[in-house]
Amino acid sequence: MSRYEENLWIITRDNLFALMEVFIKTREVIAPVRGHGGEVIFYPIETIEDVAWDWQYVNAVLPPKRFFLPQTEVMFEYRHDNSYKITPHYDDQVRMIFGIRPCDVNALIFLDRFFGGGSLSKESTDEEPLFPDSHYIKRRANTFIIAFGCHQPGENCFCVCCDAGPFLEEDYDLQLTSMNADYVVEVGSARGLKIIYGNEHFFRKASSDEVKELERIKEGALNTFADTCAYVSKAIRRITEGKVDDSLWEELAERCLDCGGCSYVCPTCCCYNIVDIALSDKSGIRTRTWDSCAFAGFTRIAGGEILRSDKKDRLKRRFFHKLSYRYIEKNKRHGCVGCGRCITTCFADISMPSVIEAVRRQ
Amino acid sequence: MKDVYYPDIALIDTVRDETGDVKTLRMRFKNPDTQKNLSYRSGQFFEVSIFGIGEMPISITSTPSRKAFFELSVKNVGLVSAALHRLPTGSEVGIRGPFGNGFPYEEVFGKNLLFVGGGIGLAPLRSLINNVLDNRDNFGKVIILYGARTPGDLVFKDEFKWWESQPDVTMLLTVDRGDEKWTGNVGVVTTLFPRAGIMSKNAVAFVCGPPVMIPFVIRDLLELGFTDDTIISTLERHMKCGVGKCGHCCIGHKYVCIDGPVFTYHEMKVMTE
Ligand SMILES: Cc1cc2nc3c(=O)[nH]c(=O)nc-3n(C[C@H](O)[C@H](O)[C@H](O)COP(=O)(O)OP(=O)(O)OC[C@H]3O[C@@H](n4cnc5c(N)ncnc54)[C@H](O)[C@@H]3O)c2cc1C
Ligand code: SF4
Ligand code: SF4
Ligand code: FES
Repeated sequence: MSRYEENLWIITRDNLFALMEVFIKTREVIAPVRGHGGEVIFYPIETIEDVAWDWQYVNAVLPPKRFFLPQTEVMFEYRHDNSYKITPHYDDQVRMIFGIRPCDVNALIFLDRFFGGGSLSKESTDEEPLFPDSHYIKRRANTFIIAFGCHQPGENCFCVCCDAGPFLEEDYDLQLTSMNADYVVEVGSARGLKIIYGNEHFFRKASSDEVKELERIKEGALNTFADTCAYVSKAIRRITEGKVDDSLWEELAERCLDCGGCSYVCPTCCCYNIVDIALSDKSGIRTRTWDSCAFAGFTRIAGGEILRSDKKDRLKRRFFHKLSYRYIEKNKRHGCVGCGRCITTCFADISMPSVIEAVRRQ
Repeated sequence: MKDVYYPDIALIDTVRDETGDVKTLRMRFKNPDTQKNLSYRSGQFFEVSIFGIGEMPISITSTPSRKAFFELSVKNVGLVSAALHRLPTGSEVGIRGPFGNGFPYEEVFGKNLLFVGGGIGLAPLRSLINNVLDNRDNFGKVIILYGARTPGDLVFKDEFKWWESQPDVTMLLTVDRGDEKWTGNVGVVTTLFPRAGIMSKNAVAFVCGPPVMIPFVIRDLLELGFTDDTIISTLERHMKCGVGKCGHCCIGHKYVCIDGPVFTYHEMKVMTE
């Protein structure tokens, strides 16, 4: 365990509600909210009552990725009078994400390394970033993370196989776990501690019994996960060594619809396209939008040639990128956090677990 | 923190027609300090913006040994390149970079150098050729073999005489199809190999050209005694960001925009889609 501070705190439900109402007044608070169709999504809330408190759903259908890498964002605007003037667009909104699950926090840590060249929630980064992405970094630095540990897995969750849950060990601001009618609060960062000390009247220190109880809850939660995950490392090894026969990807390619849904719902997928939009003769914007390696046009070069034209190669690429060892070395973890969203989304039953299982059987 | 997506403005000083569809633009950064501080390696590229249309990766074809300006040679093939071709001198474009690894330079001091170019593929090689010839004493024998579809498709014709006139330089041209005036070699670039006096000993080969050309050139170079590590080429991939983030240029474990575009044949052989 590597909490920022060894002390555990307790906050009652009423105090948590009161504290959150304070935050809602001073920043944008994003939380899991039940949409009109009954599905749960991350959305800005106006009152803490908006949160889908029943936790029947375990996790939201989409990760909160869009609050760090929006589906479409303006990177800058340009204007030409006598000369070009370029004004970068940065999102300076101060945010809090409340109720984010450990898998999705681990996905953010993955993106921190990728876009920032280091772990952003830590005080010091372990590497000099190469081409840091200021748009991502600004959003991430302005977003406070209140994570919720998971007592039991959702239908498709396999975070335990991916070292990404059901509780966080580090790299969060605050982690809440419900205990009886209250919440245990773990502190994972300096700014997390600042929130506690700045609002001390809402919290009390946990007793030693409560500390032990939290450990029991965590153990118990682990035991509710089926051990279906012994084969992740096997898949990593076989994909890295190039020992997966192409016939596996060919079979999957017959089913894949090229819809890109897997990339869009995945909290670690972050490929994007850059598109200019002229708003007049003299002005316009440069935008970036989510893209997917599932699309044939992703590798189209001038003259119309598509470099990765074979669908089997596109499927292979996605799983190679997530699992191959050299990428793991670079990103310090493999590219799947076990959230299970690709299982829910794919019409063709092509998901991380189904591919891992197919690799095992081959 | 510098925003890696933020382009600097550069001015087009002159435009030279190389062929019917290739123009060489001489440019400089509008901000004199940016121009003064510009440093790059041959083989690196810029992301060139025509605002409102888009951005494209273009090799820097000028040599870092000549300051005060930089040059890009651009073939008109699509949206952004066509828009750039339409711009008159004095126009402003956006520039990000330089990006990419660039060719080995100091690493090949003292070696004999063979350059094999095809079509617009001579653009990145030209930067290195001029950089080598501007520092002639640091290198051994230089052989330049260049081919294009027709005589009208040969780029940098103005410079061939100067290259040829430099000490210990062999320069041979070829075209796939000649015309009435063409008296030189007809055939693909590999047909020049037997006449070029190529020696693979203490030599490095730089190969840039259309994808169809590369495998044949490499096959013949290997036969001549070059090795996987002494054959150096560039990869063309769809690129958007140039900074290893957008994912478009990925192949194998490499991001071509930051780990490349220059690779040894050894590195290229093990890459899989
Ligand atoms: C490292 C590198 C160096 C290059 N150097 C030169 C050069 O010196 N001279 C030259 O004429 N061409 C060069 N190219 C090819 C040049 O980038 C493409 O011809 C150009 O992007 C076509 O853009 P377009 O908008 O005119 O074409 P469209 O077909 O309309 O392309 C639209 C967009 O797709 C992307 N795209 C399309 N083709 C390519 C491609 N081949 N490579 C990368 N992205 C692509 C670009 O973002 C482009 O803006 C280079 C490519 C790379 C990767
Ligand atoms: S969600 Fe499934 S069908 Fe859609 S692109 Fe991904 S693998 Fe293919
Ligand atoms: S690959 Fe699937 S299970 Fe893994 S993180 Fe992405 S969406 Fe979640
Ligand atoms: S061009 Fe974006 S990752 Fe290489």
